Amino acid sequence: MADSALPENLRYLIEEFNRSGLRELHIRRGDFELLLSHTDHAPSAPAASRRPASPSPQQAPQAQAPAAPPPAEQIADGLPEGTVAVVAPNLGTFYRSPKPGAAPYVEVGQRVEQGAELCLIEVMKLFTTVRSEVSGTVEAVLVEDTAMVEAGQALFAVRAD
Amino acid sequence: MAIKRLFVANRGEIALRVVKAAQALNIETVVAVSDADWESAAAKMADRAVVLGPASAAKSYLDPRLVVHAARESGCDGLHPGYGFLSERAILPRLCEDHGIAFVGPRPDVIEALGDKLQARAMASAAGVPLVPGSENIASGADARREGDRIGYPVLLKAAAGGGGRGMVIANNGDEAEAGFQRASAEAEAAFGDGTMFMERFVPEARHVEVQLMGDGQGKVLHFGERDCSVQRRYQKLIEEAPCAAMSDELRAKLHKSAIDLAASVNYRNAGTAEFLFDVQRQEFYFIEVNARIQVEHPVSEMISSFDLVQEQIRIAGGAGLSVGQDDVVLSGHAIECRINAEDAARDFAPSPGRITRWDAPTGEGIRLDSHMAEGAMIPPFYDSMVGKLIAHGKDRAEAIDRLVGAIDDFVIEGVPTTLGLQRAIATHPDFVANTIHTRWLEQVVLPQFGKDAA
Repeated sequence: MADSALPENLRYLIEEFNRSGLRELHIRRGDFELLLSHTDHAPSAPAASRRPASPSPQQAPQAQAPAAPPPAEQIADGLPEGTVAVVAPNLGTFYRSPKPGAAPYVEVGQRVEQGAELCLIEVMKLFTTVRSEVSGTVEAVLVEDTAMVEAGQALFAVRAD
Repeated sequence: MAIKRLFVANRGEIALRVVKAAQALNIETVVAVSDADWESAAAKMADRAVVLGPASAAKSYLDPRLVVHAARESGCDGLHPGYGFLSERAILPRLCEDHGIAFVGPRPDVIEALGDKLQARAMASAAGVPLVPGSENIASGADARREGDRIGYPVLLKAAAGGGGRGMVIANNGDEAEAGFQRASAEAEAAFGDGTMFMERFVPEARHVEVQLMGDGQGKVLHFGERDCSVQRRYQKLIEEAPCAAMSDELRAKLHKSAIDLAASVNYRNAGTAEFLFDVQRQEFYFIEVNARIQVEHPVSEMISSFDLVQEQIRIAGGAGLSVGQDDVVLSGHAIECRINAEDAARDFAPSPGRITRWDAPTGEGIRLDSHMAEGAMIPPFYDSMVGKLIAHGKDRAEAIDRLVGAIDDFVIEGVPTTLGLQRAIATHPDFVANTIHTRWLEQVVLPQFGKDAA
C-alpha cells in the first residue's frame, strides 16, 4: 500500500476489524507493522467485548474500582456452555418488543434464523435493531427489558445449530 | 442546584482531571468510555464507567445523542465535556438542557456564535477588542497597493472564498502587493471560482497569547492571567507558559480588559479562553478567536493563581456563581507546561501508540504532572497521542525552566517513543531561555537541527 494512502486504509482496516468479530489482526509488511486487537493485554487475553457489565442504572454509583477483567473461561461462565452471545453494538436502552405492550421479538427456547430480529437498542429515540448472527435456539435473555446496556454487553445467549 | 452526579464525556488525562475535581467537591462521577478505554485510569477512579460504543470516536465519544443518553440513563445531573471531541458542539448543551442535565460550559448559542469566525470577529469588534488591521474586499492590483500602503507592510493577501493556504500571498511592498494580487486572484479564481481577495497585516514573528476567563453567565467575568503558547509545530502547541514574560504590564492590563469586555458582552458562562496574536515589535495584540471550553494548558494558569479552574467550572455549572472576585485572583511566579506525546521524532513525529513498559514520573518542588498513564497502561491508536502534561512552577521564569528541565531529566518513559527529548531541547535552547521566540521559531530554528546534533 502506498504511504500516502496509509491513514485512510488504516481507518478502513480498523472499521472492518471492529465489524468483523475478529479478536486480533496482525499485519507485517516490510517496515510496516500493525497489530489490531480487542484484547487490551498481550495477544490471546480476553476480548474486551466479553467484559462484565457495570452496575445497572437503577443502582447508585458505588465507590469502588471496576473489577479487573476476568479470564476468558470465567467470562464464558456467564453464558450457558456452548452458546454464543449476542452483544449490544453500542450503549442504549434495551427493548425486547417492537413497541410498548407488544409481544417480545423472541422468547427463551425459540428458534431463530440468522438475521432474525432479537431486540431494539434505543438512543434518544433512535432505534437500532439487533439481529442474530447465527441460526439456532435462544437459550437465555440476559438483560431486563428497558435496562440501559453498554456497548459489548451480552444480551442473549443463542445455541447455534 | 449543585451537581450531585457528574458525567464525564471525555477520555485521557482530562477525564481523570475532571473526576479528581468532582471528587474533591464530593460529587459522584460516571465516566463514558469507548471499548478501547474501559480500563482507563479515569474509568478506574470514577464511581462508575459506562461503555458507549466501539473504539471509533465517531461511534462513541463523538456521538452527542449517545453521550447524553448515557448521562441521563446513569442518573447524572451534570455533564463535563472536557476539551476536544464534543466540547464545542452546541448540540451537546442543547441536548443536556432538553434532558435536565447541567452542562459544564457556555450556553449553546454562545458556543455557536463564537464558533463562527466571522461572527466572533464582529462580536470582538463591537466590544472594542483590537482585530488584525485589514481591508474590505479587494478587486484590483491598484486597490491592493493602496490598501497595503494604508495597513503597513508586510501584508497577507487571502482569497475571500479560500482556505487551507491556497491563494495566499505575502507582500512586502506596493509592487509585491500589485503583482501578488494578480497571481493570487487568478489562482483563487481557478480554485474556488471566485477571485475576490482581502488583505491583513502580516506579523512575521508573532507570539500567541491567550487570556483565561471564567464567567458567571450574568455578565460578570474574571480573568486568571494570560498564557504564552508560542512554541508550536503545525499550529499545535507544545509548550505553554504563564504569564507572558515578553509583555509589558501596561499592555497586559489592556489585554485582560479586552478579553473580559468580549466575554462580558455575551454574558459568557463558565471557562473560556480568548486567543490573541501578539506583535512584539509593535507592542500590539489582535483578537484571533475564543475557545469556549477548558483548555489543555489550563494548569499553568492554576499554578500561578493557586486556583482550581475545573472545580470552579463544576461549581458554576451547579448554579453557584463565581466563588471569588477579581481582587482575590492573585498571580505569582511563573509556570511552564510541556505536552508529552507518544510520537516518534525520528519519523516526523508520527503518533506511536503502544504499551508503556516503564513510567518513572518526576516529583519535586513546583512540579505537577497531569497524566492518565502508568506502567502497563495502553495508548490506543484511535485517539490523540498525548500521554501527559508536565508542569513546573517557580518564583520566576528562570526557576521554572530549571525545574522543568530537571523534571524532564528525571522522567523515564519506556515502551513508546515520546517527545520528552524535543521538550528538553526546547527548554534548554538559548532562544527559549532568552525568550526571543515566536510561533514559527520551533519549525524554523529548532526542528531543522533537532536529532542531527545527537546523531
